[in-house]
Amino acid sequence: MPGLGILTIFVLVALLAPVLAPYDPHALSGQPLERPSAAHPLGTNDIGQDILSELIFGARISLIVALAASMGTVALATLIGAAAGYLGGWLDTALMRGVDVLLALPRLPLLILLAALLGAGLPQTIAIIALLFWPAAARTIRAQTQSLRRRGYIQMARQLGGGTGYVLRRHIVPALAPLLAFELVMAAGRAVALEAGLAFLGIGDAAAKSWGLMMRFALNLPGLLLGDRWLWWLLPPAACLTLLILTLTCIGIGLEERWQPRLKRRP
Amino acid sequence: MRDLRVHFPTACEVVRAVDGVSFDLAGGEALAVIGETGSGKTSIARALLGLHPAGVTTGSIRLAGQELVGLPEDAWRAVRWRRIALAAQNAGSAFDPVYRIGEQIAEPLRHHRGLTPVEALARAILLAEEVGLSARHLAAYPHQLSGGEKQRAMLAMALSCQPEILIVDEPTSGQDMLARAEVISLLGRLRRERGMSLLLISHDLAAVAQLADRVAVLYAGQLVEAGPAAGLIEDPRHPYTWGLRNAYPSMTTARDLAGIRGDLPDPTQPPAGCRFHPRCTQAVERCRLVEPTLMPLERARPFPRQGGEDRWIACHLGGLQTLLRATDLRKTFSTNGSAAKVEAVRGAGIEVYEGEVVALVGQTGSGKSTLARLIVGLEQAEAGRVELEGQELTALTGEALRRARRRVQYIAQDPFDALSPRLTVAEIVREPLEIHRLGTRAEQDAVVRDALSAVGLPVASEFLARHTHELSGGQLQRIAIARALVLDPKLLIADEPVSMLDPSEQARVIILLKQIQNQRGMGLVLISHDLALVRKVADRIYVMRAGEIVEWGPASRIISRPQHEYTGALLAAAPAFDL
Repeated sequence: MPGLGILTIFVLVALLAPVLAPYDPHALSGQPLERPSAAHPLGTNDIGQDILSELIFGARISLIVALAASMGTVALATLIGAAAGYLGGWLDTALMRGVDVLLALPRLPLLILLAALLGAGLPQTIAIIALLFWPAAARTIRAQTQSLRRRGYIQMARQLGGGTGYVLRRHIVPALAPLLAFELVMAAGRAVALEAGLAFLGIGDAAAKSWGLMMRFALNLPGLLLGDRWLWWLLPPAACLTLLILTLTCIGIGLEERWQPRLKRRP
Repeated sequence: MRDLRVHFPTACEVVRAVDGVSFDLAGGEALAVIGETGSGKTSIARALLGLHPAGVTTGSIRLAGQELVGLPEDAWRAVRWRRIALAAQNAGSAFDPVYRIGEQIAEPLRHHRGLTPVEALARAILLAEEVGLSARHLAAYPHQLSGGEKQRAMLAMALSCQPEILIVDEPTSGQDMLARAEVISLLGRLRRERGMSLLLISHDLAAVAQLADRVAVLYAGQLVEAGPAAGLIEDPRHPYTWGLRNAYPSMTTARDLAGIRGDLPDPTQPPAGCRFHPRCTQAVERCRLVEPTLMPLERARPFPRQGGEDRWIACHLGGLQTLLRATDLRKTFSTNGSAAKVEAVRGAGIEVYEGEVVALVGQTGSGKSTLARLIVGLEQAEAGRVELEGQELTALTGEALRRARRRVQYIAQDPFDALSPRLTVAEIVREPLEIHRLGTRAEQDAVVRDALSAVGLPVASEFLARHTHELSGGQLQRIAIARALVLDPKLLIADEPVSMLDPSEQARVIILLKQIQNQRGMGLVLISHDLALVRKVADRIYVMRAGEIVEWGPASRIISRPQHEYTGALLAAAPAFDL
């Protein structure tokens, strides 16, 4: 899977950022708005920070957000989706109506509202993303749980006297694993995009050097697109974002095919 | 006869052949004493003739008021032959090979009646005619006669002094079916014509059913059940009688034979408590400790069950227990929330007695599976009761329900669906133990291995680590059976356990189920649409149609004389090789 290879490169860059980056991204290592040179391969920004270093450290933010937010999303979605699907009854109805309401709310105003309420910062950003994304995943997980619940071996485990906790832990969650992996990767992709969006809108963490924030500062410079400056200031973070999201989506689709062989295209 | 005991002293032990047996034999009555070989039947017969050495027989035998036990030898001579006569077992060796048959029949006449040889011979000819022998037979030596003829000659000899009581010891054993039938009709005729009492000692249940008025069942020197012959054989209540009947081959049923598990106890050291308890499927603690007494069934049984008139039984539990009683169960399914409802089970119920195989047959869609799922708790019943060993299950919750569920295990039709594809063989079989937190890991592993070997599967670690997709349907169904066994249930409910298998594997799995059922003394409910198959193993059959039980009864009757037209249709549709 080439997606995994690209993801590995992103992860390595994020891990080895202090080694790879020529400068501290926060340090004012040059003059403002330098053009690319040997010292600053991608030049400097409007206050003289090295753009390449910003880009390399930005991978950390994106990946941390991707990992934490997708885990949070899937954990929440599994808890609620599996409980609703397995226990059924009024609990299922209540939870799923709640999901419907959350899905029907317009995203962006909700996002801005949440950001304003929770304040700016990386943990808040992660929490907002998880809160926003779980309902869709919970639905899928509930549907799958409902179908699993009717399987003979799960009914037999219940008949034998296996409690809810036991059956969920021993049978349902392992059976959901491929689906959860898929949901995890897809949520990660969406989380990267959303984090960039939040940073771009200025409701993210202003101190974290994320790709979204870089793009925001770049576009804040009057007349950026008039010259060639966007080529090394705006394009690299945008390209990195696009590549990472695309990579995660590809892995997700690959996993889905593996999980549901029916979707595999015949050669 | 009261509290008869026959104890043979040997070098260092005492063989308790008969241990406290009491019964009455009225004038003109036919009583049969049945039991396995070694249960003490012949010892009773010999005691009645005073043939045991002095001191061996204790208790009381009264013949029309006269005490026979302890009678001196010369007083016995007036009783033997004239009042109580014996037609011995094994007629072949009872005759002296060097005398002609006629002389041997005449001999007791001369001895006990004081007839002259000529008179005696004339009487012998008359007697021979009565039992269907001719003068030619009388002139023959014993080795020149067939087994049946010798048996007749033996009867003639026993009848010679016109006894009040004729004891016939195993009159039919070792004979072919035609000779046997002749002996039975002869005995019946003689008894009617002479109006004598008959004490029939036999393990031949069919002969007993035809000849006897009452039956007493002897086990390890003690009576375990007694009652009118027809009722006792049709509806045995003591677990031993029940096992004895099932071990007996009969033309009216196609079922395979099933012996009683275990062996007769050593007569020198009979088990404490109820002597049958080591072989009994329903034994409880009390059976191991306290010896039960023979008492009328009405007083013995704890909860009422129909039938069993004038029956005596020696069982703490009042005879065969009702393992499962499901009554008036109802279940309706609504299809996708629409108004159309399917009444899957409409007030159906079944009963399963201890150690019994019950088949539930009917077409697909008749509600058999739903009924089973209601019983095991896979579906919730809308109405009705499920009682397991007298305990109402629908009223139980929590831990009590979990405990009760251990006693009923369910085997589903499709093992691919019923066994998790994600677990290994060992994990699948261990799961019930894990859920019920029984034993340590090592003990669980031992139970798993036992269960797997019981169903004929390997226990190599390589096999234990396999997953379901690596196994055949037959292997999977065996794993499902092993999994059902680890909790040591009292009742197994198998829903079409072999319908997904090929015929050869079907036969093997059905035989396996029957074997396990017999060895472990479980009840088994076999759900199937295949009458041809279930009649091989079922003791009783329930026929279900459209959510209701339309007919039920002993398997032999359902197969040979179906009463409901639906049963007839099912039978007619069963596969047969009409070549």
